[in-house]
Parts: sequence; structure tokens; C-alpha cells
Amino acid sequence: MADVLPRQDLTPPAPLPSEGRGEPAEPGAGTPPSFTGKGAGGLGWAFWRPALGVLTLLAILALWEALSRARVLNPQFFPPVSDILGTFVALWQNNVFPGHLATTLWRMAVGYAIAAALGIGLGLVMGRWRAVYDLFEPLVEFLRPMPPVALIPVLILLVGIGDEMKIVVVAFASLFPILLNTVEGVRGVHPTLLDVARTFRYDEAALLRRVIFPAALPQIMAGLRISLAIALIVALVSEMIGATAGLGYFVLQAQRGLRIRDMYAAIVMLALLGFTLNWLFLLVEARVLAWHRASTGQE
Amino acid sequence: MRPTRVLGFVLVAALLGVWEVAARTGLLDARFVPAPTTIVVAWVAFAASGQLLADLLATLGAWAQGYLIAAALGVVLGVVMGLVPVLRAMLSTTVELLRPMPSVAIIPIAIVLFGLGDPMKRFVVAYAALWPVLINTLYGVRAVDPVLLDTARTFRLGPLRSTLRVVLPAAAPYIATGLRISTSIALVLVITAELVASRNGLGYFVRASEQANRVPEVYAGVLTIAVLGYLLNVLFVAVEARALAWHRGLMRTEAV
Repeated sequence: MADVLPRQDLTPPAPLPSEGRGEPAEPGAGTPPSFTGKGAGGLGWAFWRPALGVLTLLAILALWEALSRARVLNPQFFPPVSDILGTFVALWQNNVFPGHLATTLWRMAVGYAIAAALGIGLGLVMGRWRAVYDLFEPLVEFLRPMPPVALIPVLILLVGIGDEMKIVVVAFASLFPILLNTVEGVRGVHPTLLDVARTFRYDEAALLRRVIFPAALPQIMAGLRISLAIALIVALVSEMIGATAGLGYFVLQAQRGLRIRDMYAAIVMLALLGFTLNWLFLLVEARVLAWHRASTGQE
Repeated sequence: MRPTRVLGFVLVAALLGVWEVAARTGLLDARFVPAPTTIVVAWVAFAASGQLLADLLATLGAWAQGYLIAAALGVVLGVVMGLVPVLRAMLSTTVELLRPMPSVAIIPIAIVLFGLGDPMKRFVVAYAALWPVLINTLYGVRAVDPVLLDTARTFRLGPLRSTLRVVLPAAAPYIATGLRISTSIALVLVITAELVASRNGLGYFVRASEQANRVPEVYAGVLTIAVLGYLLNVLFVAVEARALAWHRGLMRTEAV
């Protein structure tokens, strides 16, 4: 029965997967994705390439504005961009967004932290000892592909619609990418490193903490990054389904109350939040892995 | 098979056993955590009534249609953006801004535009599943060995034929990665859409059962969703292994 499970199923396949969003399929997925690579040659392309992107975006927004003002697009469904931005600013000034944002971030952060601690801890042990891996594999294999949002109604039954429900579902959803990437990272540690550590008579705890963990860190960070996006999505869904505060609650209530401008402003807020979290993570990752890049660069 | 592999199944069986006993003896409040056997009974009733099939088809239908739209759009856009630098430059900023947005944020817009029916679900699924396919296709196309493109030119293949016969196969492993990531994202989104706002599908069944306090049905629904997620994953890995067998063969030959 166990052999039916294909091996590559549990291990992230070679082009690094990323269950959250469509991350680039690059090994060592720490690098910030960008499309800017080789240019097409020609003078001024280095300037025109980014400028062209921004101009296109502005053109799309201007077109939206014009079509909405001209009532070609129904302004009830597509309010003018300038109105949405005005609402966005107003919601910040009226202290509406800061409160909901703090609520969402708090739930997300606690769940994410639990998932990180559990995922890295269990992942180290599962990656190091085959028997532990075998013990948990069938459970993980079955729970992992389940859409985590399906647990929300169960958790509402168990703990109500309070913070616990959101924290548990965020932790559950964020756990698997961190866990599996940690296992992979531990298994990928170069045997020479382990031999050297043995030569220095490291005991098991020192080996895990001072050799295996650092060596697996790039892969662990990849898992943490995937989970960050997942944590945000799941936190928002849990707020859409059962909550009295938070950005997910706000955006859905705005839709139900036909406060369409509030709704769009909240979606802009969510896009900014996703973008900022990803950017912050890349900053942290660059700093945490700086030594790693330096050492592999020298080799 | 390693002897320790049995351990995992023993653990699962033990957990289920403890759960059953705890629920039967009142250690767990059976009103909220019914025994596994109670859940199975509820599941059988769910299946026998025909409700299961109807909800399953509703969920799978929206999932498959949204996914196919995303796959087609993502591959075409990804290839075009990968091959035409000007288009890539034009669209990159917009894509980079939209991509990190949590995909569920699109649900309220989808409800405003399409109401609560299947079109809303399809739209949400297609939107969320688009990005992994698009980004991975784009990377795959840009990673195509220039020698292959030069060779195609030498053979005077036109742009369309070289795209279909050289670029797409060479980028196929990347595209497959994007497609695999999107299968699970699409499932998460269809279930989310059904939980939040819908009148059919497995997500709706779970949500409605929870609101009506039909607790064993909630668990039976979640169980169905879990099995569905598991099977779709297994299916995709099998399809991918078969579809890309030629690629692995090629890589092996080159490595020798």
C-alpha cells in the first residue's frame, strides 16, 4: 500500500515546488523572482524595460478610470480608480484599516510561528531518523493534500469563531511546506559535513544544531516563504467564514453590504499586504542566508 | 519494504482507535467530536442519498473548468511573454503586483460580478490557478537552450512550428510543475468559494452541515474533501510521470 505513494510525492521535486503561489521553478528558490533577465539589446532598453511595465500598468488604470467615468464599465461594479484610492486613504485615516490589519497579522503571526517551530523541529527529527519519518509519513501524506480551509467548519464546532480557530487553521496549513522542506534539507546535507562533525566528536544535539540545521537552512527558508503566502490566504478565509474583525471579515462584509468602494480599497490593501510580506521575507532571507551564499560562492 | 514503514500505519490505526474509544466513553464530547464509526455511518448515508455525487460533481466541475481556463491562458501568456521581450517588459510590473496578492481577495469581486453560482467559482479558480502556470511557463520558455532555437531556425521552422515543436516540449517540465502546483491551489479555491458563498458543492455541504449542527455530516464532508485532495494529487503525479517520461529518458542519455 505504501509503495503506491510515489516517492516524489512527499519530497519537493527538483524544480522547487511552491504550493503557495506560482514561484519560479528554480533550485534554491531564495532568489527574488523577476522577469528581468537578458535584455533584447538595443540602446535604452535598460531604461525602457521597467518604464514600459509601469507605463502599461498606468495605462490600464487610466483606461479603467475613463471607462468607469464614461459609464462604459458599470461604476457600481467598477468604481473609478481615483474613487477607490480616495476610499483607501480615508479608511486609513479613519483608523479602520489599522485595526483590522493588526487583527489579521496577529492571528497569522501566531499560527505561522507555531507552524515554523513544529515544522522545523519535527522536520529535523524526521529527516535525521528514518524510523521517525516512517512513523509520520502516512499521516502527513494523507493530511497534506487536503485543502486546509475545509477544516474551518470543524474548528468552528470545536472552538468557536474566536482567535483559536484562526490560529489553528493557519498553523495547520503552514505546517506542511515547512515540514517537508526541512526534511528535504536535512536529507540533502552533504555526507562530508556529517563525517567532519563526527571527527570533531560532536554529539547528536550539537550535530543537529550546529551542522545539520545551518546546512538545511536554505531549504527551510524556501518552505517558510511558501508558508507565509499560505498563512495569509488561510487567515483571510477563516475571517471570511467566521469572524467579527480582520481584513478578510472586512472585505466580505463590504461586498455583502454593497459597499463596493470599501471592498476594492480592502482588496488593494490585501495586495499591498501580500506584496510587503513577501518583500520583507526576502530581506530577512537575504540576511539570514548571507553567510551561506558567501561560503558556497567561494567553493 | 523497510520494516519501520509499518509503524506509520500502526500510528494512524492507533490514533483512530483512541479517538473511537475516547468518543464512546465520553472522554471527548461526542456532540462535537463524533466517533470515527459514527462519521463513517454518516458518510455512507451521504453517499447513498445521492447528495455526495451531486456535490462532488459540482465541486469537480468548477474545479476542472476553472483549472483548464487557467492552464490554457497561463501557457499561452507564458509562452508569448517568454518569447516577446517587449510584451514581457510591458506586463511584468502588473504581474509582479498581482501575483503576491492573496488569491482569495478576488472572491468578493467574483461575487459582485457573477453572483453565487458556478461562474463565480470558475472565475475564482481560474484566477488563482493562473499564476503558477504563467510564471513557470515563462521561466521554462526563458530557460530553453538557445542551441535548440538556433537549430530550429537552421531547419527553417517558422515561429509557430518552432514554438509548438521546440519551445513547448523543452519547457514542458517547468509547465508541468506549474500545472501541478495549480491543481492543489484550484482545489483550495473552489472549496473556499463554496464555504464562503455558494449553494452547492462539497464546501457548501460542510458549511451548511456545520450551520445546521449536523456534526457527523460535517466530518463526513471534510473526509470526502481530504480523500478528493489526496486522489487528485496521486492522479496528477502519475500523469506527470507518464507525460514527462521522454524527458527523463533524454536527461539520462545526456548525463551518460
